[in-house]
Amino acid sequence: MTLLEVALYFCVLSIFSVGGLPSVMPEMQRYVVEVKGWMSPAEFMQAFAVGQAAPGPNMLVTSLVGYHVAGLTGALVALAAMCGPAAVLAWWVSDLWDRFKDSPWRKAIQRAIAPIVVGMILAGGVILATPDATPDWRLWSIAAATAIGILVTKVNPLWYLAAGGVLGAILL
Amino acid sequence: MQVSPPRTLLELFTGFLSIGARSFGGVMPWAHRVMVEERRWMTPEDFTETIGLCQFLPGPNVGNASIVLGKRWFGIAGSLVAFLGLFALPFVWVLTLFAFYADFAATSPMLRAVVTGVGAAGAGMFIGTAIKLGKPIARNPYVLALIAACFVAVAIVRISLAVVLPVGLGIALLLARRGRL
Repeated sequence: MTLLEVALYFCVLSIFSVGGLPSVMPEMQRYVVEVKGWMSPAEFMQAFAVGQAAPGPNMLVTSLVGYHVAGLTGALVALAAMCGPAAVLAWWVSDLWDRFKDSPWRKAIQRAIAPIVVGMILAGGVILATPDATPDWRLWSIAAATAIGILVTKVNPLWYLAAGGVLGAILL
Repeated sequence: MQVSPPRTLLELFTGFLSIGARSFGGVMPWAHRVMVEERRWMTPEDFTETIGLCQFLPGPNVGNASIVLGKRWFGIAGSLVAFLGLFALPFVWVLTLFAFYADFAATSPMLRAVVTGVGAAGAGMFIGTAIKLGKPIARNPYVLALIAACFVAVAIVRISLAVVLPVGLGIALLLARRGRL
């Protein structure tokens, strides 16, 4: 029954995931942790951390939520549900998008979507850096240092994740 | 630049497999490297255009690109093969890592601390990316107000995305059509 719920929820979330995982992260956390209680805030953050550290599209975090709820089947179902509807839409829209290359509506849509996606990604970062009700300055410092790092240097992001791990071991 | 699309489904599969296998720290740079530089399936301009469309669509960027490009080259079979190639290895790895982690985390506070630190750095990557994407458009006060309203509604008030996205997009589209964005 839970598996069906997971499938349905991720199918809906899939359609909303403009901008990829970052923009739906706050909603996923709200539903999985706060509404359903499938994972604790700390478990969710750690699944996210494992998903970030592993190679591949970060959408794979959804398969970890599925795995936590219903094992290997859950992992497959969650990932298929999260990618399926979006994939069907991409398959269907790609010709249409080319055809409306110079349409003013296409340009309006592109401009309208940008600020919304930025707001969602920002919210995703802040929520993930605050897994408990009270903000932890150590997690905030690691997040702030990483944000500044990727803004001012061009180093492979993997180094920041590694540095975050080392800082975590020292500070936490 | 001389480009030639993949000739067989196997070639398409191994190409996307090699993107997925190496994509530590982000898939997009590796997608570019494999499809444009190594295998020369497409021109850089074509790549940018395709990724642009995929960013606007829901779903994972490069996941969408695998669907769109697979379709262009081999129809629906191509979409399926490219998508499976991209996700196959990362899926196995992330689950293996997570299973190991779940076994050891209970007994090792050190491991928990490391993974929590990685998570915080990942959160910082989100914040940095948002600032990077927002910087060129945030001079416009309407854009800034939309970003702020979205952030407050989602992160602080915790309103469901099913409400925030349609309402926010509706307002943004109206503003865009009036030339305010």
